[in-house]
Amino acid sequence: MKTLLGAVALMMAGTALAHAEGELFLYNWGNYTSPDMIKKFEDKYQVKVTITDFDSNDTALAKVEAGASGFDLVVPSAGFVGIYAEKGLIQKLDLSKLPNHKNIAPEWLDVAWDPGREWSVPWQWGSTGMSVNVKDYAGDINTSDIFLNPPAELEGKINVIPEMGDVLALATMWAGGTVCSEDPEVMKKVRDALLAAKPKWMSMDYSTVEKMINHDYAATVDWNGSAMRARLGNPDVAYGYPKEGYGLWMDNVVLLSDAKNVDNAYLFLDFIMDPENAAMLSAFARYGNGIAGSDAFMPEDMKTAPEIVPPAEFAAKGQFVTVCTGKALEYQTAIWTELQK
Amino acid sequence: MARRRDFAVNDLPGATLISMLVFIGLYAPILVLIVYSFNAGDSVAKWQGWSLDWYRTAWANDEVKAATWVSLVVATGAAVLSTALATMAALGTTRRPAFRGQTFIYVMINQPLMVPEIVTAVALLLVTAAIKKATGYSGLGYLIVAHAAFCIPFAYLPIRARLEGMDLTLETAASDLYASRWQTFRRVTLPLLMPGILAGAMLAFVTSLDDVVITEFIKSPGQDTLPTYMLGQLRRAMKPDVNAISTLLLALTLVLLSAFFLLTRNRK
Repeated sequence: MKTLLGAVALMMAGTALAHAEGELFLYNWGNYTSPDMIKKFEDKYQVKVTITDFDSNDTALAKVEAGASGFDLVVPSAGFVGIYAEKGLIQKLDLSKLPNHKNIAPEWLDVAWDPGREWSVPWQWGSTGMSVNVKDYAGDINTSDIFLNPPAELEGKINVIPEMGDVLALATMWAGGTVCSEDPEVMKKVRDALLAAKPKWMSMDYSTVEKMINHDYAATVDWNGSAMRARLGNPDVAYGYPKEGYGLWMDNVVLLSDAKNVDNAYLFLDFIMDPENAAMLSAFARYGNGIAGSDAFMPEDMKTAPEIVPPAEFAAKGQFVTVCTGKALEYQTAIWTELQK
Repeated sequence: MARRRDFAVNDLPGATLISMLVFIGLYAPILVLIVYSFNAGDSVAKWQGWSLDWYRTAWANDEVKAATWVSLVVATGAAVLSTALATMAALGTTRRPAFRGQTFIYVMINQPLMVPEIVTAVALLLVTAAIKKATGYSGLGYLIVAHAAFCIPFAYLPIRARLEGMDLTLETAASDLYASRWQTFRRVTLPLLMPGILAGAMLAFVTSLDDVVITEFIKSPGQDTLPTYMLGQLRRAMKPDVNAISTLLLALTLVLLSAFFLLTRNRK
């Protein structure tokens, strides 16, 4: 009753100012949410959206787990959705409140971490592949040989991002295994290939966009969004999808169990699954969104971008990079440690 | 420490070279950052001509403005609160003869300098979450109090140093002239102490402005400060507007540190 009176008072007081009818608290990676899309949502539903940034899945999980975080929606990576669900931190979605749920592209509907999408809806997804300067190397770039068995033209000019999960996933698939393989023979092959290739690399560094643009690197293991930005700065940069298999990742929106603005959260979840709005997200973050039909609303430079839309022949080669456990993690850590020496 | 001046580090061979290298290592990256904040292109490392575009971009960014506001409010609140507490602590620990447990008290006051920040952050996360649950309050109060806690030693040290340099004779004289304890404090101690208090407040302000770890853990929705906002940019390519914000923060810090220097240097 008090809140009702308060709301009435607010509405009466707010003749000059447009008062939001409600609020929504989104906890997301920094610089990842399209301000235009948020503005559109706020205007449409008169809901004030407050975005707060996190810098890693672990920080976000720790804060939510401590309780009383005050957030309604969080955007964890694929491997973390299950952890949130297991700990009872998120609630199962009432799909009847999400008419746009049907827009989720078929390949993003029955995902390993959430079959049927009952706990999470897609935010953005991307891949890990090869960025190559085609002036230096004219051969096939759709292969992990670029960094594991480098052609002579690229030797000494290759960068590898220092990201254990992504790099080992590529190497494992190249060696014929699946992500998080526990097969000692496959992992032996991975180790030997990486150690043999390392002297032919130039560095292990994150700042791929700048250095590909400046032609400091001739090739690098790269994320597709970075590859696209590098190409926009230097048309000689091309992105290859390793045919032996490449890594995929996806961030997803989940609804917290202790969310206070559940109705607004549903409005928002449904809103971002509208193809036009999903395209706004992609236009800002420069990644794909997993919503069917959003292509039509994408900016011109993304509709056809080979980094965003994998060529049909490679579309099925992607494997999700999850956080490995047990034996697989032991192998990975051991190889990675040896590689860093 | 009055010794014969027959040894000085800068007489050693190579001392100048080493110190130059240290200064270059310290300041060259910052200079690069400042220069690139004036870059015309949208790269943080490829030079494309001079412009003020990124200052304009940063200025037009509502998130940056909101984060700046939160930073300034928290830093001001934390500086005022921690300086008030530190002043009392400094008076309590110096305007009296040495006492048992003095060292222990010093260690306790300076504890935030010793304990790893992440430990404090996790502890505060658990405590603030419990309080938020119990009271429903999720305002800036948590950040201000938490920042004040780790700013206390920064405010305390200059104030104590100042007090130790002031002998008790003036206060004794005031009491002799029938000034009440309050009058003595208000008319004698406080004015003499003011430079120390201001210096302490500035150090506390700058320390709060810089903080990332504790803020990241206990901020409530919508309470991103400039440093946590900038940290959030890391996963995607950073744009030069982050350089522009850093440059402005740096300028503010420099102004405050210069003021600190002017206030604390010995008067001739």
